[in-house]
Amino acid sequence: MRSVPGVLELEGLRRRYGDVVALDDLSFEVPSGQVVGFLGPNGAGKTTTMRAVFGLTDLDAGSVRWNGIPVNQAARRRFGYMPEERGLYPGMHVGEQLEYLGRLHGLSTVDAARATEDWLERLEVADRRDSKVETLSHGNQQRVQLAAALLHEPELIVLDEPLSGLDPTGIDAIGKVLVDQARAGSCVVFSSHQLDQVEDLCERVTIIDHGRLVVSGTVDELETSGARRLVVRVDGDRSGEWARRLPGVTVSEVSAGAVRLVLDRSVDSDDVLRAAMGIGRVTEFSFARRRLSEVFREAVA
Amino acid sequence: MKPVYVVLVVLFGVSVGIIRFRQFRARLRRRRGSEAGAQRAPAGRPDSPSVGGEVATAPAAAVPPGPHERTAVRRAADIGERFGDVGQIAMREVTERVRSRIFRVGTIIVLVAVALAIIIPELDKSSSRPTPQAVGVVGTVSPALEHLVAAAGKGDKDKVRFVTESSLARAQGALRAKKLAFAIVGGSEVLLWEPASLSSSPADPTLVDDAAEYLGVLQAYRTAGLTPAQAADIDNSKSAPVRTLQSGSGHSTHVVPVIGIILMFVMLSQYCTWTLIGVMQEKSSRVVEVLLATVRPLQLLAGKVLGIGLVALGQATLVVAFALLLAEGLGSDVLKGDQPLAVAALLLWLVLGYAFYCWLYAAAGSTAERQDQIQTLALPLSIPMLIGYVYSLTVASSGSPDTFFKVLAYLPPTAPFCMSVLVALGQATWWEFLASVLISIAGTVAMAVFAARIYRRAVLHTGGRVRLRELLARSGQR
Repeated sequence: MRSVPGVLELEGLRRRYGDVVALDDLSFEVPSGQVVGFLGPNGAGKTTTMRAVFGLTDLDAGSVRWNGIPVNQAARRRFGYMPEERGLYPGMHVGEQLEYLGRLHGLSTVDAARATEDWLERLEVADRRDSKVETLSHGNQQRVQLAAALLHEPELIVLDEPLSGLDPTGIDAIGKVLVDQARAGSCVVFSSHQLDQVEDLCERVTIIDHGRLVVSGTVDELETSGARRLVVRVDGDRSGEWARRLPGVTVSEVSAGAVRLVLDRSVDSDDVLRAAMGIGRVTEFSFARRRLSEVFREAVA
Repeated sequence: MKPVYVVLVVLFGVSVGIIRFRQFRARLRRRRGSEAGAQRAPAGRPDSPSVGGEVATAPAAAVPPGPHERTAVRRAADIGERFGDVGQIAMREVTERVRSRIFRVGTIIVLVAVALAIIIPELDKSSSRPTPQAVGVVGTVSPALEHLVAAAGKGDKDKVRFVTESSLARAQGALRAKKLAFAIVGGSEVLLWEPASLSSSPADPTLVDDAAEYLGVLQAYRTAGLTPAQAADIDNSKSAPVRTLQSGSGHSTHVVPVIGIILMFVMLSQYCTWTLIGVMQEKSSRVVEVLLATVRPLQLLAGKVLGIGLVALGQATLVVAFALLLAEGLGSDVLKGDQPLAVAALLLWLVLGYAFYCWLYAAAGSTAERQDQIQTLALPLSIPMLIGYVYSLTVASSGSPDTFFKVLAYLPPTAPFCMSVLVALGQATWWEFLASVLISIAGTVAMAVFAARIYRRAVLHTGGRVRLRELLARSGQR
């Protein structure tokens, strides 16, 4: 358990690159002890926001605070960062590189060596400690990069697309580590486009678009809020044409014969069932939660 | 055996020894590693690289140093720790550079080049054995003349042997057969078969000239009516003492400045290019993002140039020490005289030159992202260095600096070359030297401030080259 669970506060962040507005008065908070998914379409300003936390982007306005105190160099030493475009010395040995980064985060030589050992073991890359980074596979480089962000037991962990390009085993391994860190009291934020994984890993999500906050809340809240969803399967029907004719009903998805419907408040589900039975034998009829992908699409539409 | 060969053989032996020892140690480590691996194997993870109890001899299986083992890198890290983040960054530079193959091979090449520069003149000297010069004598020759010619022969590295010929005809025959180099006829004439300047002539032209001159002088003594004793007195006269009013000015040899200037240029360009490439690589591999998330840009920049600077100084000191020892061992006069001062000045100027240029190159590196941009960046930066270098080389060999050269000796970009040459030529007073050093330090500080500003803006700016105007326009917050 980290001694000081903290909260990351971003307030009124503004950043403009020429004519492009990257951040437009963006504010939100990230509490400790949870895994927070940071979502948004490409170019929404996710990377700029994360870089701003580490002072890697100059802000035109706004402030980043950790436990109420503006973030400075000393605070950043206790943060861990995994940038979107991975950054390690290609020709340096994995173990020595991690020890070096650990020392730069304030660990003693011995502690850095021990933490390196532990993390390489935990992320199952201990047998590559004497290899050069450039000889590692993409997945293993990603693991080493994650180890670099976690070595010094950071209070805040910010990861830009940590799951991209990984195979399912890699996603599971890294996802488990992130959840463990949050359970241990850290503040974990990561961006991703793999919404299924985000749904599995995160308690909360924050969605931004055009540099502005769109939605923020727990996954449960977001999935149970909004219009009702119905999944209906009718023998012999593959297109869901019948549902499109119903007033107040939108077909959000048709997959493998199952039609996913979004119902307006005014629609009675019994009417839908009757319409379905008019087409053929109904084999499935169930209410469903809003999926995170739907939350996302509706938020940024 | 000549001392040169002894040194060469010893050098060869030592380097082979070092290589063998390293191979042996590596083999020992591997073996220990595979034993440790074999013990660990049964408990190892199912996906560990062991097949049916047999340990795969992948390089990864070689002894990982435990967290408490004192590796060289960790010892260096401990040293760096005492100097904070900049120390850590500098020590990483030092260990990574010193371990790199490029550095090791480069050092060996420089050492070999220096060794050759010292050894070749020595070999040349020892290979010019005394050439036998058979001098025919027709008629009588005074002992004084024989003595003088023999002495002149020694000075010209000739081994003079006098052969008495009974007649002029016999002497002519011997000359034609090249049994004689030349002949002295009747104590009044020097006879040759063909002009001594021709390569086919066995006669040493200088010796011929000397013999002719002495013959003339002795004849003049006789005409002047000197007694043999008086003539002998004149022959045995000693040179009067030569006194200089200012020591250290005017050197017979300009070898030190020339070798020194070449070495300085090679090292300066090499190490400055390292900073350029190093910064560029940190930027292009994006590792700079990870580093700057925890250290300040100025710390990263300062650590880098400091680390490479330490390596440069170490290598330069090694080369100079090697050169001095080798020259001493061979008794070479290449580095003799009051040159230690010039050598010390060279080392100091190497440091000052690096300190001035490294910032510039680092700032340039931070604006690039690809290898192919390096040439375009490095070329304009190296122009002032090239001017100083070429100009200094000409002045060092001519030995006479002009006013423009003396002005260049006070400008930080060219001072490392020009002032070193002035010092080696004994044409700079201590206060002139000091003034140039102070100007250079001031210039370095200004350059560092300027470079840090560019670096901070540019190093995090990805996607294409950064324009200089853009970098200088906005003022940063960090």
